[in-house]
Amino acid sequence: MVTRDDVINIARLSKLYIAEEELDDMTKAMGDIVKFADTINNASEEGVEFDNINNLRNAFREDEIVPSYDRDEILKNANDIDEGHFLVRKRV
Amino acid sequence: MAEGIITHLGGMLENKEISCTELTEKYISAIDSANGDLNAYVKVTPDEALAAAKTVDEKIAKGEKLDPLEGIPMTLKDNISTKGIETTCCSKILEGYKPIYDATVWSALKAKNAVLLGKTNMDEFAMGSSCETSYFGGAANPHDITRVAGGSSGGVASAVGGNIAAYGLGSDTGGSIRQPASFCGIVGLKPTYGAVSRFGLIAYASSFDQIGPVTTTVEDAAIVYDAISGYDKMDSTSQGRKGEPTVASLKNDIKGMKIGIADEYLDGVSDEIRTAIEKACSVYESLGAQIVRFKLPSLKYALPVYYILACAEASSNLGRYDGIRYGYRTSNYKDINEMVCKTRSEGFGAEVKRRILLGTYVLSAGYYDAYYKKAQNLRGSIVSAFKNAFGSCDVILAPTVPNTAFKKGSAISDPIQTYLTDICTVPVNIAGLPGISIPCGFDGEGMPIGMQLIGDTFCESTILNAAWQYENAVGAEVFRSSSYGVKL
Repeated sequence: MVTRDDVINIARLSKLYIAEEELDDMTKAMGDIVKFADTINNASEEGVEFDNINNLRNAFREDEIVPSYDRDEILKNANDIDEGHFLVRKRV
Repeated sequence: MAEGIITHLGGMLENKEISCTELTEKYISAIDSANGDLNAYVKVTPDEALAAAKTVDEKIAKGEKLDPLEGIPMTLKDNISTKGIETTCCSKILEGYKPIYDATVWSALKAKNAVLLGKTNMDEFAMGSSCETSYFGGAANPHDITRVAGGSSGGVASAVGGNIAAYGLGSDTGGSIRQPASFCGIVGLKPTYGAVSRFGLIAYASSFDQIGPVTTTVEDAAIVYDAISGYDKMDSTSQGRKGEPTVASLKNDIKGMKIGIADEYLDGVSDEIRTAIEKACSVYESLGAQIVRFKLPSLKYALPVYYILACAEASSNLGRYDGIRYGYRTSNYKDINEMVCKTRSEGFGAEVKRRILLGTYVLSAGYYDAYYKKAQNLRGSIVSAFKNAFGSCDVILAPTVPNTAFKKGSAISDPIQTYLTDICTVPVNIAGLPGISIPCGFDGEGMPIGMQLIGDTFCESTILNAAWQYENAVGAEVFRSSSYGVKL
């Protein structure tokens, strides 16, 4: 059972605002999805410990200094920059 | 279909029946005429395409030999990074974002002078099964534009099915290459996890995502797979292709090959699709393969396991969208927390928000063990079940989707109903296996039906071989061109 308060709390953790008029619909949708997800708890088996896919091992490489991306190129995608930094302006 | 578009166009270029520039212009003009109906492309890149075509024409003029993919007009799903070309994942939150690097798959194709026609439509952040969660509206099915192209790689499938691209690359997290390929009557290959680099693929669920080809024929899929697979040091989960190029073994005899059918895959599938699968079994028997029937009971948990784990990974992956470094930023805010929350709330669509919320829910204290951990353990069971299955068969044959392409607007309102259409495709992603969807018939309304061939890890050669043999045996019976696109 998912309540309106659960949705508000989860939204806060997710850094999302759910508008008051959307809250009932979102609570119902979340309730349906969680009920659907709950079917795994009917499984009689406990399952098998799973920690990675296809027995992958991290592919380590030498820690060598190589050229990286150009700072000015990276900053071109930002909304607001100042002297080579990302900028978030203070608003009141 | 005897010959794929890639091989056909390659032959035309080689024999100088057409120049690469003329060919590219034909495709650009076909996009102009068809895209209003199909909405397959969200960005067309004629300047880049014609520049690449010019390079190819110069090589031809010098008498140099061309690679099979050289000069072939193609497309990329809009979640594959292209340096300097807007890449949005069809989300408002990435509006205006131009990557500063190329995805490894695109670097590999660019090195072969692939002609990029543009970026194609998709469900927002690849979250959907109909392409309708796209910020730009959904892509239409080239066989009936009142129906969806499928999702999430709906734009690629619509473009290739409608021949306004000779081939394309999509990404498959829970069926996003195979399902739209099935809906549009074409071929879609989801490679083994780790076979193709994910570097530059904008992440949805990192332990499931995999890039793969969308083509008109199996041979074309093998050509593209061979070109994009390989080890990449930029992807820590990369393993590369194991063994020889798949094209080499495509036409091998399949006498004695064991083809497995699991009953669970046929539960809830429409009668027409069940009949098409049974018919495919007979084709395989006539080719000398042996049909083996078995059970995969843990498949009944595949869908919830997939949605729990994929959403958990998405909630973490999508945490990076804060409006500071790239993409959309809200214009009105008091402090940084409000800026981030408003940016995300205004920038993400409803389905993306639902999945972030579910992911955060299953990872939060009190629910982690009951959902996330339990789902991880059941993922382990599904991996083991497939491993056992491949002890008694070489390939598993299954439907790709329980139904054919549905009408636009009919699925979007009910998330659970939409999730259910992924039932036959998600197990492959859960277990990291390769799977290919190929056309195997039509329903009563003339819409394409697809079937899926699943292999053990890194056994792309085996499934492509089995798929080619089927395609070769049935030929034109299962392939129909749409009324759109370049006529050759």
